[in-house]
Amino acid sequence: MGKTTCAAASACALSALRRGKRARVLVVSTDPAHSLGDALGVQLAASPRAIRRGLTAVELDAPRAFARWIGEHGAALGEALEHGTWLDRADVDTLLDLSLPGVDELAGILEIARLADSRRYDHIVVDTAPTGHTLRLLASPQTVAVVAGILDALQAEHRLIREQLARVGRPEAADRLIARLAEQARETGETLRDRQRTTFCWVTLPEALSLAESEDGLAALETNGMHAAEIIVNRVLPAAGPCPICDRRRADEQRVIARITRRLGRGRTLRIIPASLREPRGVAALAKIGTTLSTTEDAEDTEKKTGLALRVLRRPRGEERVPFALSAPKGERTVSPESLDVLRGAKLLFVGGKGGVGKTTVSTAAAIRLARAHPDRRMLLLSTDPAHSIADVLDARKEAIGDTPKAVRGGPANLFIRELDAARALAARRVDLEHALDEIAHSFGADASAGGPRGAAELMDLAPPGVDELFGILEVTRLLTPERESLRSSARSSARGGGAPRASEYDVIIVDTAPTGHALRLLELPDAAREWVQVLLRMLLKYKSLVRPGQLAAELVDVSKSIRELQTILRDASHTRFLVVTRAAEVPRFETERLLTRLRRLTLAAPAVIVNAMTLAPGRCTRCRATAATERRSLAALRRRCGARSRECVIIQTPLSAPPPRGVRALDRWARWWTLDRAQADG
Amino acid sequence: MFILDTLLIGSLRFVLDKVVAAAEAEMNDDTALREQLLEAQMRLELGEISDEEFAQIEKDVLARIREIKGQQQGAITMSSKDKISGVEVESWKSEG
Repeated sequence: MGKTTCAAASACALSALRRGKRARVLVVSTDPAHSLGDALGVQLAASPRAIRRGLTAVELDAPRAFARWIGEHGAALGEALEHGTWLDRADVDTLLDLSLPGVDELAGILEIARLADSRRYDHIVVDTAPTGHTLRLLASPQTVAVVAGILDALQAEHRLIREQLARVGRPEAADRLIARLAEQARETGETLRDRQRTTFCWVTLPEALSLAESEDGLAALETNGMHAAEIIVNRVLPAAGPCPICDRRRADEQRVIARITRRLGRGRTLRIIPASLREPRGVAALAKIGTTLSTTEDAEDTEKKTGLALRVLRRPRGEERVPFALSAPKGERTVSPESLDVLRGAKLLFVGGKGGVGKTTVSTAAAIRLARAHPDRRMLLLSTDPAHSIADVLDARKEAIGDTPKAVRGGPANLFIRELDAARALAARRVDLEHALDEIAHSFGADASAGGPRGAAELMDLAPPGVDELFGILEVTRLLTPERESLRSSARSSARGGGAPRASEYDVIIVDTAPTGHALRLLELPDAAREWVQVLLRMLLKYKSLVRPGQLAAELVDVSKSIRELQTILRDASHTRFLVVTRAAEVPRFETERLLTRLRRLTLAAPAVIVNAMTLAPGRCTRCRATAATERRSLAALRRRCGARSRECVIIQTPLSAPPPRGVRALDRWARWWTLDRAQADG
Repeated sequence: MFILDTLLIGSLRFVLDKVVAAAEAEMNDDTALREQLLEAQMRLELGEISDEEFAQIEKDVLARIREIKGQQQGAITMSSKDKISGVEVESWKSEG
């Protein structure tokens, strides 16, 4: 979408010299897959780095930030846990040492609160993670408040004893920490809602798909009492000479922009950033964009400046008959997804990459082609991105696709589509877990703490970040392996419910993942979660004379087994593959290279990189030719990384389509035009 | 004397009730065995015991559960529905 570009550009503009004064600006990236450094053209790390006078940049390292927070407050936190439960110091320390898999959002909000507190900066510009997880970040002050509440309850009894017996009224470290957390949660929440102090800029692309996501995202913000005052439409094609592709794209973009204005424009400033031929990298290029962003002008002025007309253009006659214009050369050796060697025999296929590169389009097209080619196999296209967009790519109504697998109208009958509702996956286990927690709380005698129905429910609301995603990904295990007999499977099957196809499950699952950072987090989850489960099991065994290992133990054994199965599936290269989707541009390429490295470290097979939306037939259009030249350079660099002769990782190109393919038929036809990178194939 | 008798009989009855309940629990209730199995599963997940060791424990526990079920259907037939309605106590001295 260009969030990073816009954030960096705004920061550059804010820190510019104005009337002899310079504001102190900090730009911080909270996306676990950072690209702020790539955009600014400098190496960034977890400690702030001065970019130029008045401008500092930092890429938040969430696990490190959280570790530092624990380092500072661990003792006090441990005290509260020790006072409120029967756990001894060693247990508490073991728990505090564990890594919290979904800590990014929590650490992000604590870090922003800390930086805002320090008063060292006049402005803080936050470059956020993609939609789904940013909404979680913004909701995390509530999580912090719940944590403070629970800790307070744990501490309550101890406090009472101290006051009444020892006659000590002075708050100790634990009390101070609890008070501070509650305070921080309240303040941060207020700051985020305060329109004077916080501005949200919503960055989007002039594409129907992005519009749908923007509508959902902005609505979610408003529900949380936050208001996005600005919408930035990035990479809008400026006017230029005739070209079958560009003209078509321009017309579509303008229709989308008109819809954005109509549906979302009220009470908001709309800004348009024209697509530049060169990727805006480095402070100078960004500052130039920043000036357009910081001037106060309304949509009409922008219109004059960029030569864009914000009105709906009538579709030219005859356009309806051709669903889309493709930038694909004739007579090229094409490889549609079903004929790809790297997909043969795959049971579990992850499709991932940077936000906005076209993961959903690629995964949906691949799913349709694969399902058509193998009508005897049951396939599931599963979206794990909290900001789902399969429905939009299929041009289907939002309600037509959901957490219950459904076949697509007009699509292959053996293809089912599901947009995973992680919260629901957790909710299905919730009743069991709540009972289990109650059972434990009663045995531990900590009635005021986690005990009582309210306590357990609250603990579950808190949903240790990432736990819902864990149960979400564990669904994959359940769907790929035949139902096994567990101590409690009979009790659970009724709770899981849903109209899902019976235990026969699926032969192939294609997972449309969240953007890079969170896709990796999802894949790393099983390891972290296994560690948690083991620590908890060990504690239950240690205290078995006090608490009989009941429901919670059975629940944990069950989870532990599922995790083990998932780990086995993930590591099995004959069944599991990761397809990386990218664009032929520098910033996405850097992220792709880092992603490939991380996947290798996770011992996950990544046999193909799909370079999406390439201008393969530039014709005589100067703009298309320039774009094609830039793309070729970027592709050459990627080729070097993937290894020209290596069979390890093939490069697949997909042609630019105007408009992007939407609906079963268009996707099906578009996927016939995928090509194997020739330079690599010949090499 | 009457009060003492009531107390004596009452407490005797209480004790006997308990004895029967305990025996009943021992025979009917396989909770302890199930817990033993669960603990073995926990240790298996922790890698403290091997698959073979677990299989052996599982086999033993299941055998014992079967044994209990067999006994229930055999010699003593006392279900949770059966209640002790009273205890007869004879005392020689009270007559004389």
